[in-house]
Amino acid sequence: MTFDAIGIAGTSLTVHRKWLDAIADNLANANTAAPTSGPAFRARYIEAQAGPGTSGVYVAGVREGDAAGRLVFEPDNPLADAEGYVRYPDIDLSEQMGSLIMAQRGYQANAQVVDRARTMYESALQIGRSS
Amino acid sequence: MLDSVTSAALTSALDGLSRRQRAIADNIANVNTPGYHAQRVQFEEALAASVQDGDGRATATTSLSAEPTRTNGNNVNLDTETMSNIDTVLRFQFATQALNAQFTGLRSALRTS
Amino acid sequence: MSIAPIGPVGPAIGAVASPAAQGATGTGGDFAQSLTGAVDDLQQLQSTSNQLAVQAVTGNLDDIHSAVIAATRAQVTLEVAAAVRNKGIDAFNEIMRMQA
Repeated sequence: MTFDAIGIAGTSLTVHRKWLDAIADNLANANTAAPTSGPAFRARYIEAQAGPGTSGVYVAGVREGDAAGRLVFEPDNPLADAEGYVRYPDIDLSEQMGSLIMAQRGYQANAQVVDRARTMYESALQIGRSS
Repeated sequence: MLDSVTSAALTSALDGLSRRQRAIADNIANVNTPGYHAQRVQFEEALAASVQDGDGRATATTSLSAEPTRTNGNNVNLDTETMSNIDTVLRFQFATQALNAQFTGLRSALRTS
Repeated sequence: MSIAPIGPVGPAIGAVASPAAQGATGTGGDFAQSLTGAVDDLQQLQSTSNQLAVQAVTGNLDDIHSAVIAATRAQVTLEVAAAVRNKGIDAFNEIMRMQA
């Protein structure tokens, strides 16, 4: 590939954006209650894998969180069952916030790689140009 | 004149630096991938030895870094990669400039007005 | 710079004639010498510039500016030498045109 480094960084930008989307979704639904008859909201965890050779990174799969969730006693909740329990998703907020920062940092680092690679390729295009 | 040791050395350096840039891009792309080990590209020593022998051509070799990993098996150090990236870009710019000077010198000698 | 000792006073005509002749051959010899010197200089500058450039790309150079300065010096010297050659050729052609 001609402008390889930019393509490689591009694959990582995609992966980190998907990661960011998953985390945003998890945080938005962290307090979504569900009746005990069905599953709780299942958090999504992106699994990344390195491509063969030097082809960057891609999403190998999406792992879903625990369907059982946490049983919380809330008799006033309209979704509560006969004993007064509701299901909440099993999402660790601090862990998700940590992942959010890592995803953002990874995205920024790869955006910088694109910029530096562009500088390099532009300089290569100047070889032999008569002044 | 155009195939001198210097020209060959500068061209080999450009090849090596370009491979290094790709390796760095791959490392930074996989900064959060579990189990990934950073790639390292070497060519400086081979190039210096080749210049000593009067040839000037050298191919770059890639290897995996054996630095300690984090808990998820990844051993990419973002600061090292960033520094290396900036260094590579600057070296590349210098090498293209030096290679350019070879051609420009010939051109100005040819100019007769 | 050497200072010649004062010699004996000789005939005036001979004394006037010899410096002029000496001056003529002196200028001709000097120009040829300076041109040859410039070409040798250029060779030296080119070789230094090449050496520093290779050192820089193999990572053995501490100051990048020395490589860039050497390259620029070699470049500028080459351009000066080319310009002098071109002017010399133009002057020669000019003179040839006069005689024709």
